[in-house]
Amino acid sequence: MKRLRSILGNTLAWVSLALAVLTPFLLLGWFQHAVASAGLRIDPLYTGGEIARVAQREGYRIEIYRPAPRRSPFQKIDPFIQMVWCPADRLPARVSDEVDVDGDGVPDLLVTFDSKTLAGSVTPRNTRFRAMHGAGVISFAELIARVNDGIVVRTRLR
Amino acid sequence: MLVWALLMFSRPEPGVAPRIAAAVTLLFMVTLFYQMMRTYETHRWRRYFFAALGFLFPVGFIWELIALRGTMSIPVERMISGDTPFCFMVIPMAIVPAAIGRTVVFPGSILPTASNPHAVAMMVALWLAATLVMGKGWCSYGCFFGGIEEGFAAVPKKARISKIDLRWRWMPWAVLAAIVLLSAATLSPVYCSWLCPFKTVTEYPQVRNFETAVQMGIFVTLFLGLVVALPLLTRKRTQCSFLCPFGAFQSVFNKIGVFEVRLDRSKCKPCVLCEKACPTLSIGTDALESGKPRLSCMKCGACVDACPRDALVWHIKGTEVGAAPERARLLHLYSAWALAVMFGGSIIATSLTKLIGLVA
Repeated sequence: MKRLRSILGNTLAWVSLALAVLTPFLLLGWFQHAVASAGLRIDPLYTGGEIARVAQREGYRIEIYRPAPRRSPFQKIDPFIQMVWCPADRLPARVSDEVDVDGDGVPDLLVTFDSKTLAGSVTPRNTRFRAMHGAGVISFAELIARVNDGIVVRTRLR
Repeated sequence: MLVWALLMFSRPEPGVAPRIAAAVTLLFMVTLFYQMMRTYETHRWRRYFFAALGFLFPVGFIWELIALRGTMSIPVERMISGDTPFCFMVIPMAIVPAAIGRTVVFPGSILPTASNPHAVAMMVALWLAATLVMGKGWCSYGCFFGGIEEGFAAVPKKARISKIDLRWRWMPWAVLAAIVLLSAATLSPVYCSWLCPFKTVTEYPQVRNFETAVQMGIFVTLFLGLVVALPLLTRKRTQCSFLCPFGAFQSVFNKIGVFEVRLDRSKCKPCVLCEKACPTLSIGTDALESGKPRLSCMKCGACVDACPRDALVWHIKGTEVGAAPERARLLHLYSAWALAVMFGGSIIATSLTKLIGLVA
């Protein structure tokens, strides 16, 4: 038994060495692939979540995301909905759009902002959303900000 | 090291700086390895590599941040687009939300992108591979943050504070438990937001209100206290010993690692030189009686180097203690050094390239 444990220990030590040598060339890629294929995603509280629908406007489009709801009573970032106006370079100086968030044909929000200063407001048309007034980043859940090729607007859910 | 050199010299980078940096790094790593072989001492030479990694990592990282976005602070816009580099420190905080909701509570990206090469999958893969090979040896060969405090701890000849209440060693476990629970509850990386001292020398949230100003104050205070001042006073890695939740998390993997340090009690005359040498409070009377260091041992080899009677030895689990300590040392060292050269060496060379470019 002692000898068997010794052989096993030594074998594992050599396997560790082989792992170390192979890691940069093979294992790192395999492990990376395994992690990536585990179905993980960055939390929607950071990314905004998934696009639910796209509303076309003249010269630009509005990407409307699924709401990022409250998943924990203690969560740091309030629940919000994200909308992205893109491409940012083709937006008029003053954007004012009524947005139908849930696709029922009835506008849920009136979003107005200056595409240069990023000052604006979100006026809810029903009680599911909160109003927002300001410029730039107020919090993670309330902001009007340029992100890559779009202008992201987030407003809090009730 | 030869393979690493071939990879570094064949990289299609313009200018002579990358080649000079690769040559200097190669010479440095070869010299250290040669000295480890010649003197039979591990920690003494590993420490030079580790301190170089610790001090040069922020140089390259900050350089990259400045080049990419012009500032060390990360604005919310960059977080939304997934441009925050993923750090291994987040792993314990991410486990519970990932297991429950399959989401990573960190504003990075799962796969590398042009604007964020340090993606979740890559860092987790690197950590997984290194952990399988080294267990908590990660904290001695892989953690670029640990190198900073090890560098400061190496400066004084003698510790000004030598008596440390051993109850402090439970602190990292308490911090680990707290941040795992709080991160799962708040769906945010609590340690990164509030406690990480290394934000001071990497990146930090843009200071835009009272809360972010307080966070920044905490980062700087913890860095100056635990990473600079206390290591200078105690000659210990105090951030690792008293705060680091990742170190506590990594300790668990010492159970599965095959390499360890053991005590041959027949040779030990308790001179406690090992206890004094240990940078993480992993050796004490209880450890000497049980014949092995505490779970927090990071396999740096300081105690083995310090023992005048060769009572502390490298050991392969399952084998007889003291039967072939040099073989155990070499197998552990080859494994750890292979990863250290590939990843740490690349970080050192990249940062040196930036410095050479700055001077030239």
